[in-house]
Amino acid sequence: MRIRSLVPGVLAVAASCGRSAPKSAGDSTSAGALGGTIVVYTAASVAIPIRAALDTFAAREHVTVQQENGGSLDIARKLTELHQIPDVVVLADYDVFPKLLMPDQTTWYADFARNRMVLAFTDKSKFASEVDSANWPTVLQRPGVQLGRANPDLDPNGYRTLLTMQLAEQYYKRPGLYDKLMKLSPAKNVRPKEADLVGVLQAGEFDYIWSYESLARATKLRYITLPSAIDLGTPEDTAIYAKASVKVAGKTPKDTLTITGEPIVYAVSIPKAAPHPQVGEKFVAFLLSPEGRALMHAAKLDALGTPVIIGGGAPASVSAAASAQ
Amino acid sequence: MTAPGAGEHALPRSMAAHRTASVVAALCGSIFLLFLVAPIARWVVGGGTSGVGELFTDAELRSSLWLTAVTATLAMAAGALGGTPLAYLLARRRFRGKAVVAAVLDLPLLIPHPVAGIALLLVLGRESAVGRALLHAGIQVAGSPIGIICAMVFVSAPLYISAAREAFARVDPRYESVARTLGDPAWRAFRRVTLPLSVRGLIAAAVVMWARAVSEFGAIVILTYNPKVASVLSYDRFTGFGLTEALPVAAVLSILALIPLVALRALRPERGAGLDV
Repeated sequence: MRIRSLVPGVLAVAASCGRSAPKSAGDSTSAGALGGTIVVYTAASVAIPIRAALDTFAAREHVTVQQENGGSLDIARKLTELHQIPDVVVLADYDVFPKLLMPDQTTWYADFARNRMVLAFTDKSKFASEVDSANWPTVLQRPGVQLGRANPDLDPNGYRTLLTMQLAEQYYKRPGLYDKLMKLSPAKNVRPKEADLVGVLQAGEFDYIWSYESLARATKLRYITLPSAIDLGTPEDTAIYAKASVKVAGKTPKDTLTITGEPIVYAVSIPKAAPHPQVGEKFVAFLLSPEGRALMHAAKLDALGTPVIIGGGAPASVSAAASAQ
Repeated sequence: MTAPGAGEHALPRSMAAHRTASVVAALCGSIFLLFLVAPIARWVVGGGTSGVGELFTDAELRSSLWLTAVTATLAMAAGALGGTPLAYLLARRRFRGKAVVAAVLDLPLLIPHPVAGIALLLVLGRESAVGRALLHAGIQVAGSPIGIICAMVFVSAPLYISAAREAFARVDPRYESVARTLGDPAWRAFRRVTLPLSVRGLIAAAVVMWARAVSEFGAIVILTYNPKVASVLSYDRFTGFGLTEALPVAAVLSILALIPLVALRALRPERGAGLDV
């Protein structure tokens, strides 16, 4: 059924519409398994791989999983403004930790996975049979093509889209390409987050959307990969990415903030005020361990070979898991 | 006073019971009112002043409030135009499958709103037959105010229809029959008798529909994120800038929405008032 294939995108939207944080009573920790509850806020673009790791963890430790998925900034605001504190926070942009959550909410974070920008589409998309990694700038400009993108002021994927389009103009040496691509995705083709775009693409309203490889794979969309110099997925190309920059909304609607191109890195942390810190710690240690990395790989997320912990105060078990091979 | 004992005792006891009941009812009512009003008061007080101030400086806020008012009013008009005959039929006529029709009309109320947005997109988007025909006529649904109106009608019209149906059901059909026997055709009997007698209920139904349309978010954000209605703007401000920027939008929306709500509720057409049961 068509509807079923829309579900991931729709759920991601529903999840971001502001549900209250689940509260739970005290944990009943037994000898072997942990028991109790774990509350995890996850960036929607990695909800599926994180869920895979959570399911394995939950079965082993007999914990109840409460996962809430949303935009990375959505999630940060839930902590800072609404004081809804989960046990584990997983964000699509490590930069959100130092910018919004440190030092009040946490003192450390662990980079654990990479992602790259892709152009996702379906069989029904216009010119789906012709488009490829080389000709997409031309194919997209054919008449009638609708290109969707996320809001750069709200969502890391939104500003990364602008950065990728800028880098594409430089890479392909086609002056004006950025403006032309922007014209293909005017305000009416913008949605709050990249996860919101999936359902709209599948409903046929868009032909192509800017997305993450992890999300395109998890939602079984077709996609084309882009040259590594523009897809923000290769740490070796950091210097090239840094040549692109965009202005997005700052602290108030009147301010602007300049964002410079950087590789896409996902990060995880445990808030200081986590309601079930022991369960949170055990899960993050599991996620960063070789076993957790393998699970994420199996669920199509490009987990880092060696997670990197930034900041001080990370639990010893988490540091040990991250450096284990 | 022939039977003093029974009478004198019974009366105070029933009065006491009556008073207790009144106190309990008043207490329950007050607590419930507080439950409804306290959150609104909290944000109106918190963001009201800055919200009203921002009305003068924030063009995006002004245009989103305008857009909300216009689209919700058009949605209400569409709901009233299309829903009134339907409500009348359901209140007055017996026909096969009536219960099914009534249940189907309630369905939009229980569909999660983002799903409703996707469902509308499947029916009205450019991939659908209807959407293609509309596009051919130059009408774009997704990403335009028309998409907003469609989403609003879908989620709020069931409320109008069910309230309007009750309003018609409260009018005694004998009045219509009398008008018909006096020579009025059906349409005229409806216009001169049923409509005036039910107009208060219809207005109340329209008010509820309008308010529901103003508050819609989930279905709208799928169909039309830009231009932004007030609910979408307040979500945007919250995610992008936090509570201090989101509160004024919500506060000013509540303050401004009170005006039409109070005005419509205060409407008491004379002919309806006397006969309303």
